[in-house]
Amino acid sequence: MTASTATTKVIPENDFFIPPSCILGAINPSTEVIITRIFDLLGLRWKAAGVGPESQCTCCTGILSHGDIMSIESTLLVVARLWSVAAEMGFENISPACVTSFAIHTECFEMYEHEPELTVKVDRWLQEACGRRLVIPKHIVHASDVVYRYRETLAQNFMKHRLVDKTDGRPLRVVDHVGCHYAKVFPEKSIGGADWCDVLAGAIRSWGGENVDYPERRHCCGMGFRQCMIRPNRGYTMACVLKKLESMEPWAPEAILTNCPGCNVMLDKEQWAVKELTGKTYDIPTLSYTELAGLLLGWDPYGVVGIQAHTVPIEPLLDKIGIPYDRSKEWQPEAQQDIELAGVRA
Amino acid sequence: MSRQFPQKADTGSKASDDLLSEGHEGLRKIPDNEMIASYERVRDHQVQTGQDRTYPNIRRLHGTPFEREKDRREVRALLEKPNEMQAWYQMARTQPCTWWIKNHLVARHALKSCLACGVCTSQCPAAQYYEEYNPRAIVDIALSEDEARLVELLKSETLWYCGQCGSCKPKCSRENNLMGLISSLRFLAQLKGYHLASVRGRQQYAARHLWGGNLWNRACSLYFRNVTSAGHPDFGPRYADYHADIDRQMTRLGANPDSSGQLGGRKVPPETLAELRRCVTWGGTLVLWQRLEELALEDARAVGISIDEYHDQVRSEG
Amino acid sequence: MAKKVCIIGGGVAGMQVASVLGTLGVPSVLVERSPLLGGRVLKLSRTFPFFNDDGFNDGQDFAAALERDLRAISLADIHLNTTLTGMTGDFPHFRVALSDGTSTDVGAVVLATGFEPFDPTGLNEYGYGIYPNVITATELEWMLNPRGPTGGELIRPNDGKKAGRLGIVFCVGSRNRRINAPFCSRICCSYSTKQASTVMERNPSAFVACFYMDVRTYDRGFEEMYSMAQDRGVKYIRGRVSMCKQLPDGSIAVRAENTLISQPFWGEFDIVSLSTGMRPCSDVEKLAQILGIGRGPDGFFMCREWFRHPHDATRDGVFIAGCATGMKPIRNCIIDGASVAARVTALLRQVSP
Ligand SMILES: Cc1cc2nc3c(=O)[nH]c(=O)nc-3n(C[C@H](O)[C@H](O)[C@H](O)COP(=O)(O)OP(=O)(O)OC[C@H]3O[C@@H](n4cnc5c(N)ncnc54)[C@H](O)[C@@H]3O)c2cc1C
Ligand code: SF4
Ligand code: SF4
Ligand code: SF4
Repeated sequence: MTASTATTKVIPENDFFIPPSCILGAINPSTEVIITRIFDLLGLRWKAAGVGPESQCTCCTGILSHGDIMSIESTLLVVARLWSVAAEMGFENISPACVTSFAIHTECFEMYEHEPELTVKVDRWLQEACGRRLVIPKHIVHASDVVYRYRETLAQNFMKHRLVDKTDGRPLRVVDHVGCHYAKVFPEKSIGGADWCDVLAGAIRSWGGENVDYPERRHCCGMGFRQCMIRPNRGYTMACVLKKLESMEPWAPEAILTNCPGCNVMLDKEQWAVKELTGKTYDIPTLSYTELAGLLLGWDPYGVVGIQAHTVPIEPLLDKIGIPYDRSKEWQPEAQQDIELAGVRA
Repeated sequence: MSRQFPQKADTGSKASDDLLSEGHEGLRKIPDNEMIASYERVRDHQVQTGQDRTYPNIRRLHGTPFEREKDRREVRALLEKPNEMQAWYQMARTQPCTWWIKNHLVARHALKSCLACGVCTSQCPAAQYYEEYNPRAIVDIALSEDEARLVELLKSETLWYCGQCGSCKPKCSRENNLMGLISSLRFLAQLKGYHLASVRGRQQYAARHLWGGNLWNRACSLYFRNVTSAGHPDFGPRYADYHADIDRQMTRLGANPDSSGQLGGRKVPPETLAELRRCVTWGGTLVLWQRLEELALEDARAVGISIDEYHDQVRSEG
Repeated sequence: MAKKVCIIGGGVAGMQVASVLGTLGVPSVLVERSPLLGGRVLKLSRTFPFFNDDGFNDGQDFAAALERDLRAISLADIHLNTTLTGMTGDFPHFRVALSDGTSTDVGAVVLATGFEPFDPTGLNEYGYGIYPNVITATELEWMLNPRGPTGGELIRPNDGKKAGRLGIVFCVGSRNRRINAPFCSRICCSYSTKQASTVMERNPSAFVACFYMDVRTYDRGFEEMYSMAQDRGVKYIRGRVSMCKQLPDGSIAVRAENTLISQPFWGEFDIVSLSTGMRPCSDVEKLAQILGIGRGPDGFFMCREWFRHPHDATRDGVFIAGCATGMKPIRNCIIDGASVAARVTALLRQVSP
């Protein structure tokens, strides 16, 4: 099954400024750390901080913006400041770790295209606010775009395992869930568009698996900012996850692959709530594209990939693929030198 | 939120320790300068671990009445020096809703015309969950230029049902941006105080101090200690084990909980935080934050509870 | 002998131009790219609004009748498998070069090159080209035709089983600014209603739903056809389909909003047919360039005077008939053909009596 239209997105080859993600940092920190580890493995030049070891990176205000407590002008300024930090470090490509961030950066970028007078205003405000200038970046790509670009290289040169059943070599059946803010807000800026987005499907194929389509593939995970984070509203999130699980079930998926921090959390963790509420156990392992890459690269499931942070156990999937793990390390931090990384330093 | 302090670190001063346990009433007496200085002293207290610096007290500050009161003082002071966007939002909030739709930077690009094709509602996950929710109806009201209908919408519960997913955006036959329009209308609802008319609208006060508090004080809209297992029983027992051990687990995975560094949980240097705050301030957001504060206080007084009780109430109501 | 007229396109419009010119004593060169005369009408199962009650069994029968009339007059020089490759000169002294190597002096040129249906592959949300049971109206029309591959039976392409549930999606590729198609394609409501009604007539226990935004059955007899379809049990649901998805057995799930009751709609069908709108004929750009004429914002050939001379192209001596200005019913193509023939004859008589 292939995408019926190809978008012509340019993914630069090298040099990425990576604004870190609030959601990943808070709930799924390894996913973000692995981005930098993969970039190192590929020998890419990247930076997530600013001058000096301490971070000059702030959040993009995406959650506040979609949570309706941040003015658009504040968001424009905060993002412009991040671009200025990137430019200071000599980076023209912004590659946010977070999908909502990707959309926020892209939205700012587009606003300047639609309303050129805005560049003058924001430049002036930014100077007055923090003595910086507005420098519009050349490319804005999500970190998963970069992994997509190098998916074959990773498979051929670095991966120790493939997405296949170790007993008979059968490709594993993997469904994807592409973050709404990756493919829907600016579909022309995604790989393959909103309906047949290839950013994860392509990785699944390259890494040996079979990408399986299902009716509610494009349905939102229900994160909804104010919906999942304010407890009384969370029924919405659970209902969305349930809808997706029910829809994918007939295809017997063996894993769910995500590229968005929120989706990775919701699709994994709300499976518990769904079990409690409906009595039905789905237990479909849910991984982000970097977690999956890390596992296939042979990086330690607990020490590097952090599968202990997952609600649905990943271990059965590891057994199927034949990835070794040492259960005694689940909670026990190992000495740094014990972390097994294919040629990269921890 | 249950506050867990696994290792009670020294705040470095007896006075600061007292402030941390004070409620709003007690804090009222403390002058601004003293309060801010005390907050920063606690926040910046550091412990050297290997090459990294760790800040053991951040965990004690987040989400406290002390932090909220300190934020209020800072916002109030900053609003005394008006800037262009602050002036704009102050002016805009007195204009009719129809004016806002034609002038607000997001709204004025978001809305063209409507064919009433229903594709937005068809694709909308919120419309599939909340029977009374229909984003097409929101477009219809916005295009009607009927002030009474707009006010009714801004006071409604349904305005807050949108999950800001953007599923409607790529499919609209008339290229409207409903996600942006709805967010813009919610902003207006709060500026005008209409959000107080709905349970979901009132939650915005908690949202301001949760995400706004994190941004304002930790340069990040989500703080890793927010997502507790007590607050998220839906995440299951394995997450509870993970979160109980979060500092060690995060460190092990290469993140930087409450410490210097580049990735998850990091504490940014004060200069970076200061730049961020100035960006937020120049963009006019503080007008909204101040409005939320005034309106919450009025609302709390009307029902005879303290602002801290109000904060906890709106967060759990719904 | 009167000057010849070159007619490009041998569909019903082109044939009608040649026929009427013939009855007026004007000879013509009729250039048709395909091996057959008749154009798109050849594959129509039946014709709205009167369902072949006009004496023809199907489109092919009707086209054959037109062709018989045309050949009987025998003033048309018919070139099949041929197209226009060049043109020199000015009205009324053109010289046209054809792909079969011939060239002819003509006094005027008539474009009757018809239309192409919109290719829905690019509208990703419908899964056309990916899900076998999502088809186009042109494919459905052929399936409903007794001369067609299924002998007129509705069959699921994925497994060959009989189909009882048919969903028809209106306005595919039309009335959509997002894909730069702000126009209405004018007859898809009518042909879809014909198709839906036909299915219900043949199988009263079928479930047929039309997803529409407005039912534009605008001409004489059309509205009556619409109400007859409803009487036969066709369901009309007001809302644009926002996505089609394949279910495990190959059936297609359809999502829309039922806008009349403001509720989301989700339904399952054996076959979903996309009522694709109009696009200009495939070599519209090349033809416009050879003939030196303009096109409208919808891509179709432009007429110079909207009210007085609706069939004049933007250059003297070049005329347009039938669906080359946009999709229309057969009857209007026939009317176009006759009026173009009259106008061309009159103008040629003025310049060379
Ligand atoms: C699904 C469907 C159902 C329909 N059902 C009905 C119905 O029931 N009743 C009704 O009244 N109408 C119906 N129609 C409309 C009908 O098909 C048109 O009115 C009719 O086909 C138009 O005739 P035309 O001659 O203008 O164009 P066409 O039929 O498109 O013929 C154009 C001809 O020009 C030729 N041509 C194109 N380019 C060149 C070139 N460069 N050189 C030489 N030759 C060229 C083509 O090969 C073709 O033969 C239906 C249409 C569709 C899509
Ligand atoms: S952005 Fe809001 S209105 Fe649009 S589809 Fe998502 S929930 Fe619905
Ligand atoms: S998708 Fe666009 S045109 Fe259609 S009903 Fe919604 S807002 Fe209107
Ligand atoms: S004729 Fe009907 S189906 Fe075709 S574009 Fe117009 S309204 Fe849509």
